[in-house]
Amino acid sequence: MESSDTGSPPADEGRQRETYKPGSEADFERLYRNTYRRILGTLITLVRDVPTAEDCAQETFERAYRSWSGWRPDAPVEAWLHRIAINVAISDRRYQRIRQAGEIVRRLGRPGPGPDPALLAEQSDVFKAIQKLPTKQAAALVLRHYHGYSNREIAAALGIPEQTVASRLATARKQLQAVLGRP
Amino acid sequence: MGDIERELEATLHRVLDPISARPIPPRRALHSRSAFRTVTGGAGAALTVKLLTGIAAAAAAVTVAGAVTTGSVNPEVWGQTITSTVESCKDNLANSGAHGIGQCVSAVANTHGATVSNAARHHGNPTGTNSGTGNGNGNGNGNGNGNAGSNGNSGSSGHGNGKSTSHPTPPPRSVH
Repeated sequence: MESSDTGSPPADEGRQRETYKPGSEADFERLYRNTYRRILGTLITLVRDVPTAEDCAQETFERAYRSWSGWRPDAPVEAWLHRIAINVAISDRRYQRIRQAGEIVRRLGRPGPGPDPALLAEQSDVFKAIQKLPTKQAAALVLRHYHGYSNREIAAALGIPEQTVASRLATARKQLQAVLGRP
Repeated sequence: MGDIERELEATLHRVLDPISARPIPPRRALHSRSAFRTVTGGAGAALTVKLLTGIAAAAAAVTVAGAVTTGSVNPEVWGQTITSTVESCKDNLANSGAHGIGQCVSAVANTHGATVSNAARHHGNPTGTNSGTGNGNGNGNGNGNGNAGSNGNSGSSGHGNGKSTSHPTPPPRSVH
């Protein structure tokens, strides 16, 4: 397993260029290396901090590996991975809500942990506003404006009609504008 | 492209590119999910909710059954009911010269349960026959715990919390 890859991911890294054989261990490892950064980028926007995003990325590939032999090559593999990643993020948000309730009770009277320093320096109001959006809306925004997916590709990734994608994007932009106080 | 979209793209690249550029970690080996995550996530969460609902329903059923039998959901009142009944039976038996209060207590429990059950069914009926000495507790689950002795004086010592008089329950029954 390689761990020395560095550098910013190319715009179309792992998208529709590579071919993979379902069930192949070597191909899955290649898929992991080709798509990890893009999946992580999506997850960072959907969950609260980088360590959680990294954990969710690993969970995503674990789930994908379990279904790897059943993946159909006619479907875009990264869209399939993104779909799993978004479901993982939704589960994580639910899990965090339940956990937070326990944490509040456990450390009554003590100050809670601060925000993740790794993200704090880079965060802007726009990024914070995206993280507060519903997971599916935030996912549509990231896929569109960070990964450069078309509405059709987003629809394939999320398993929804294109019209729904357009609607989610419009709603998300409106909410952002409202939160940020932009016209 | 609008201003908000341009700002969105610029922000996402500025924040995410440096983090995404970190070295790719080794892929985690498959492992079993923690028990807490299994319980709180995905299908596990749905199953947990069903399980908890079932337990709550079972607990409620036990409470209701106890309430119907004794006339109150308050455990202290259950105890008082039994104590009162035993005392009444003892008095009756002492007067009659007979021995053994088992049948007497059993009979009281059966009749008392039927009475309370009937009262609960007619909850909200304002036409109570009580003349002001009933045990209305506001929810129709009044208890007939009157310390009824062998003289049949049923209005002497009934007790209740007096929260409401709009739902009178049947007067305490005399036990013979």
